[in-house]
Amino acid sequence: MLETAKSTFQLSAEGLAEVKKELARYEIKDSAIIPALYVAQKENKGFITTAVIHHLGQVMDIPVSKINEVFKFYTMFNQVPVGKHHVQVCTNISCALEGGRELTNHICHELGVKLGEVTADGRFSVSRVECLGSCGTAPMMQVNTKYYESLTPESAMNILRGMK
Amino acid sequence: MPKCTINGKEVEVKDGQTIMEAFYKTEEPIAHYCYHPGLSVAGVCRLCICDIEGNPRPQIACNTVVTEGMKVSNKSDKIKDGVKWVLDFHLINHPLDCPVCDQAGECGLQEQYMEFGKYDPEMAEHKVKKHKVVDLGPTVVLDSERCVLCSRCVRFTDEVSKTSELGIFNRGDRSEIGTVEGKKLDNKYSLNTVDICPVGALTSKDFRFRQRVWYLKDSETVCNGCSTGCNVKVYFNKEGFFRVKPVYNEKVNGHWMCDEGRDIYKFLNKDARFTTGIVRQKGEQTEMAPGALAKELHKEIKAKKDQVALVLTGQYTVEEYDAMVSSMVKEFGISKIYHWVNNKESFDSFDGLLLRGDKNPNTKGLLQVLEKHQIKGVWGDLEAGLKNKSIKTLIVAGPENKAVFDNLETHVKLFAQAEHLVWLGSAKVDSLLNLNNVKVSIVPLKTFVEKEGTFINAAGLEQKFKRATTVVHEALTLTETAILMSGKNLTVPMAQIEKPAFLENKRRQDQVMLENRKKNEFVFKRGSL
Amino acid sequence: METKLLTEFYHLDEFRFLDGYKKNGGYVNLEKALKMQPQAIIDEVKASGLRGRGGAGFSTGMKWSFLPKNNEPRYLVCNADEGEPGTFKDRLMMERAPHQLIEGMIMSAFAVGSKKSYIYVRGEYYYPVEVLEQAVQEAYKAGYLGKNILGSGFDHDMDVYRGAGAYICGEETGLISSLEGQKGQPKLKPPFPAVKGYLQKPTIVNNVETLAAVKYIIRDGAAAYKKFGTEKSPGTKLFSLSGNVRKPGNYEVNLGYSLNDLINNEGGGMKPGRKLKAVIPGGSSAPVLTAEEASRATMDYECLAQMGTMLGSGAVIVIDDSQCMVDMLGVLMHFYHHESCGQCTPCREGTGWLNKITHSILEGKGRLQDIDLLVKVADNMKGRTICALSDAAALPVLSFVTKFRDEFEFYVREGRSKVRGSFYAQMHH
Repeated sequence: MLETAKSTFQLSAEGLAEVKKELARYEIKDSAIIPALYVAQKENKGFITTAVIHHLGQVMDIPVSKINEVFKFYTMFNQVPVGKHHVQVCTNISCALEGGRELTNHICHELGVKLGEVTADGRFSVSRVECLGSCGTAPMMQVNTKYYESLTPESAMNILRGMK
Repeated sequence: MPKCTINGKEVEVKDGQTIMEAFYKTEEPIAHYCYHPGLSVAGVCRLCICDIEGNPRPQIACNTVVTEGMKVSNKSDKIKDGVKWVLDFHLINHPLDCPVCDQAGECGLQEQYMEFGKYDPEMAEHKVKKHKVVDLGPTVVLDSERCVLCSRCVRFTDEVSKTSELGIFNRGDRSEIGTVEGKKLDNKYSLNTVDICPVGALTSKDFRFRQRVWYLKDSETVCNGCSTGCNVKVYFNKEGFFRVKPVYNEKVNGHWMCDEGRDIYKFLNKDARFTTGIVRQKGEQTEMAPGALAKELHKEIKAKKDQVALVLTGQYTVEEYDAMVSSMVKEFGISKIYHWVNNKESFDSFDGLLLRGDKNPNTKGLLQVLEKHQIKGVWGDLEAGLKNKSIKTLIVAGPENKAVFDNLETHVKLFAQAEHLVWLGSAKVDSLLNLNNVKVSIVPLKTFVEKEGTFINAAGLEQKFKRATTVVHEALTLTETAILMSGKNLTVPMAQIEKPAFLENKRRQDQVMLENRKKNEFVFKRGSL
Repeated sequence: METKLLTEFYHLDEFRFLDGYKKNGGYVNLEKALKMQPQAIIDEVKASGLRGRGGAGFSTGMKWSFLPKNNEPRYLVCNADEGEPGTFKDRLMMERAPHQLIEGMIMSAFAVGSKKSYIYVRGEYYYPVEVLEQAVQEAYKAGYLGKNILGSGFDHDMDVYRGAGAYICGEETGLISSLEGQKGQPKLKPPFPAVKGYLQKPTIVNNVETLAAVKYIIRDGAAAYKKFGTEKSPGTKLFSLSGNVRKPGNYEVNLGYSLNDLINNEGGGMKPGRKLKAVIPGGSSAPVLTAEEASRATMDYECLAQMGTMLGSGAVIVIDDSQCMVDMLGVLMHFYHHESCGQCTPCREGTGWLNKITHSILEGKGRLQDIDLLVKVADNMKGRTICALSDAAALPVLSFVTKFRDEFEFYVREGRSKVRGSFYAQMHH
């Protein structure tokens, strides 16, 4: 936390424009907090820091405590650095029944990381997540924005190995 | 105005009022943490559940509006059992560190557990670890593990101080109150969050670890920090005063007070006071009993009455002004009486909530008394009089709270132009003891907590207050000084002054009253253990 | 047998796009609806007996009629925050037929007099959001959205809002909080959203499937719609079948369909050599049914309620005899602990407590009294909070422990699973 606080953050011109657009899009500007956090997260290597919160507070003219509340409430905003490919494996009930947890273990083992860690080359991070609405095609994983379904440990690793 | 019954007691409430307010009105006990009459309804602690006749599910009292004929009860076994469990949910992750917690003795968890507790803890798992000793800002420290997440403090900063420094971060049992790093809890009302915190999560940096609350007595009075006149409670014991907290008054301060006002106790304690009469002449200093000194001044005032002037600050009671001014006018015919205005620039400012620029509790009272006696002196006259030496003896009723007198030192220099400066005041002003070219007589006065009287606040409201205790026994009130200076003797028997006159406070019956405290200083309040 | 009403054209890729949708009967009925009296649409929906498909199963027409009868601006919000574990039907509907939802929403908005609607989609659904946003733009271009729709004088704007990962946003007031840019914490009721919802304005929140079904009620009339399903549960419903079956997937059947048939016909039955042990019939929050109970169950609101469980979101999770019920409860307790929003004390502390007790049993550290303690804690979380998440966490506990007590007792006594032996250490690190 302390380390990240020292860092600085500033939205790019495009990012700022996008945030401004979102600010004008809804009935109240608070509704733009989630979209703005998405924009900022994308520009800050996939996670949010205190510096990001302060910058957004300034840009959006919303108390930082309110932005921080939103940031810490939703799981899609990362509080720690993630890999270039953020692998999220579902371990909720339907996936657990079909081997979601074994899949998580296998991926962690193959990539040589624990849950929440980033591989040494920065390419991958693995986390277990709750139901992603892909229960009929369990087990599954989400890598960044994309779903990969009906996986076996081998097929999952093949997919991951194919990522640059 | 619907009527309802609360545990069989009939009560009428205003339209739109909730069952909780009806409970308050009937004084029926009801457990609750998140409800606070000065804040919006959160409905999250879930303790105030009660049965409403005809409703199959228990409802929370704080969010249910009373309707005509509603029959409400929280006495059924189902409700009692429910409250026990909800209270236990509050406690399963609580550290139970009462022995080192400042809130112990006035803690919502302790108090409500006595009445509604389960007395059969079943939690055998590891407790959730959270942040401890979090520095929230200049005034407040947070212990997240003690926090019951009632959200009162967050609502306070959102709704009352409107500063929104606080938030509740994360979710589930990982939720914690906090500020964002780099943005402190720093506003002029921040310590109210400590008052409304029902547990020991938020503690005041100023008060932390200084006293156990059961070694403190309290007394209601009126804050003399500014002309708003917030109703407050001062907490003290033999060692002195330790803290000030607000007391609800709908007409004045509601539930709140400012942080500045909480510092007023600091000038009440002995170390900040003149404790004896002092006469200082040509660099030589002698001590005298205050009463004797005041009486001795009578001769001089009588002899030099045309050359005597009086300066008054807005820090005293209406009764004292009246005694002093009428004694000057009637006994001696002195009309050179002037009003010392501190912080002139901000005198009329107001922050919209409580803080006023006039840092005196009774400017209105002083002006009324001066008008009554048709005193029309302006400050320029005083300055001129001192300069042209037509004023030789100057009596100054100085500030009690010198912190709010920005111009204190320059004015002391001004006053030193007189031949004899008679300083009446409680606060120790060191520069007075460095004056060598003027005779200085210092009569120590009592502070507002050591006397009774009336303040008139900025809105013109007269507020009477009672004496809390005596810190400097020898000190005089301004009234007593006026009597003595006019050559009379005090008719008030000393015995009466010595007698403690604590105000009634609402302690529970099972708590040992103050009288019994003498018997065993350190187990006072054992009754409830 | 499947009854394909909503899903009739889902196999067609073109149904995703405006042209393909129109080719297959799309937006024809919108014109019809816009010529009706709004109240007539409400009456028709009420008469159809349509019940909310998101979980609570409340009468849609009734919900609409709670709106104040005045000209106050109001909002329609589509709840597409599909988060109930086991549910994946809304995702299918948005991916395969976004215009079906949009058309249903415009009709519903017209009925309730709303000039602005939001589709709140869970944040993880990147692809459905993409499809929806594209479809909304197509609809604007074709004049189905915007000012004076199809010359009817009715104006309506629609926007897609992406959540950011919180189960609780599926609760309608939690969703509204989230849409308002706050934490997705449910709000105190009363006031109900129909009176004071989004931005304190009257708001109707309906599930994707509910709003899509409105189109078919307008198209065929309430009477025709009521021919599907049972008397108290009219219509068809998409069931998300998952877990240990051969052919998991979404199946649209009449309400009142046999659970046994759903598993064995549509689902292709159990995997080789496996027997049915238990079924969670309505998403993870619904109390579990034993195999015996499941054999008697029909998939409608009243039968499942009678059996002490619920239809919920229609997520049927099939558990076979290779699974350990203690382990599965551990999975669910982890979930509810993770998702409790933290505002009400019984839920905030209770979900954590339940999770800890379950996992200490799973670690082999359980005490016999822990089994009863699970029940006591769950019992005292029920009905004590602002929203139903607390109940949703408590109900599985009560049903798992009651119906599979032998597995819990075995686990506590032996320190290992009756079914799977010592497996736990490898499963959770």
